[in-house]
Amino acid sequence: MINIQDIRDTARDMLAKGEARMVIGYRRGTRGMLAEPAFITDPAQADDLVWDPTCFNNLSLYLVHDKKFLAHMRENPKGPLAVQQRRSAAAFDGDDFVFTTAAGEKRLAAREVMADRCLECRAPYPKEHNLVFGEDKTGRQLEAPFAALERFEAQDAGQRWDAWSQHFDRCMRCFACRSVCPMCYCDECVVDSITFPVTAGTTAEEKATRIKWIERSATRSENITYLMTRAMHLAGRCTDCGECERACPVNVPIRMLNNKMEREAREKFGFEPGASIGGPSLVATFLDSDPGQFIR
Amino acid sequence: MSEPQADFEPKIVAFLCKWCSSAGSDLAGVSRIQYPANATPITIPCTGAVSPMYILSAFNKGADGVLVSGCHIGDCHYIEGNYLARRKMHLTMELLKFIGLEPNRFRMSWVSAAEGAKFAQVVTEFVDDVRKLGPQDKLRKVVSQ
Repeated sequence: MINIQDIRDTARDMLAKGEARMVIGYRRGTRGMLAEPAFITDPAQADDLVWDPTCFNNLSLYLVHDKKFLAHMRENPKGPLAVQQRRSAAAFDGDDFVFTTAAGEKRLAAREVMADRCLECRAPYPKEHNLVFGEDKTGRQLEAPFAALERFEAQDAGQRWDAWSQHFDRCMRCFACRSVCPMCYCDECVVDSITFPVTAGTTAEEKATRIKWIERSATRSENITYLMTRAMHLAGRCTDCGECERACPVNVPIRMLNNKMEREAREKFGFEPGASIGGPSLVATFLDSDPGQFIR
Repeated sequence: MSEPQADFEPKIVAFLCKWCSSAGSDLAGVSRIQYPANATPITIPCTGAVSPMYILSAFNKGADGVLVSGCHIGDCHYIEGNYLARRKMHLTMELLKFIGLEPNRFRMSWVSAAEGAKFAQVVTEFVDDVRKLGPQDKLRKVVSQ
């Protein structure tokens, strides 16, 4: 178990000593019981930090935001950010999920309450870190990796299309999956024409001749192009945090597309996404042994 | 999946590498080899330059099949373009199969500038396969009147 007071004390210390510019963590949300991301710069606010199973946002997204923000600033503020990382190990006793209510302690089987991404998590312990609270629970995998994907893939092509065509119909392209993704960093999104920058210097001809890969309307064909392009762009980079699937308001199993790409990368190309910092990317490298049997 | 139609002529978009397959299709032409005229060739500098978006976009805009053809492994004008293409196209193909598109709608081939006969054969086989599948209406954009 992690003592929340340790996290608060550390955060307060770091801010007071100037070791960190800001602590990104979780605090109690204003609506219901869920936690929300907190951005703490004042040591006095460190007591707002919470740590419980409702802390599920992936905060690494804000590091990407910060990096982008700094790139546009004239003078960089000094000091790193400290991030409270989410981990799936909170409040678990063996394979049971334990929580306390007014009527006493309750237990639920983890398999019933946990998201697929957490059940299949390979690394419930941060690989790169300066400071970690709680013990290493690596190896505590409740389901085999890609278990949900394999269950889906066991169906034939017709059934897969029936399922996906309904998912694609439902998507309304709110771009929530793109917004929460720590790996989607482009300022200009190739599948979203309104993100193309228009400045005073942009000529009418430039605007007119821009390639518009897909229409803005949220119809099935356009949604397919969007979601498939997103999966391709994340191939070999997605580390399966599963935020896209969680954020989706219409429950499109987006994670499955990313999982499919990750499995291909691991099995066919021997490539492990997120294994090395600064290593080569999946689609910018090749091996002589890459599969080529499908080519005539 | 739609039923095969007797009078159905598939629309094929063929991305042909400038250095090999495009020249290969020229050779098929000057050699007067007969092959179906269903393929619309688009010359690209290298198969490595084919973004998966080209393929998705072709299907989106009404192609019944997409062919990507380039130099044999080891013969790339840009040394390694087709190695990169092999990887990207494999991923694209797996993704298309995953959502339930027929695997025969997307094909990749290596055709060198000297293989006019092979180009004709690849296109003939591909058109036959796509003809059996009927029109592609899964990824096609529906334009309302």
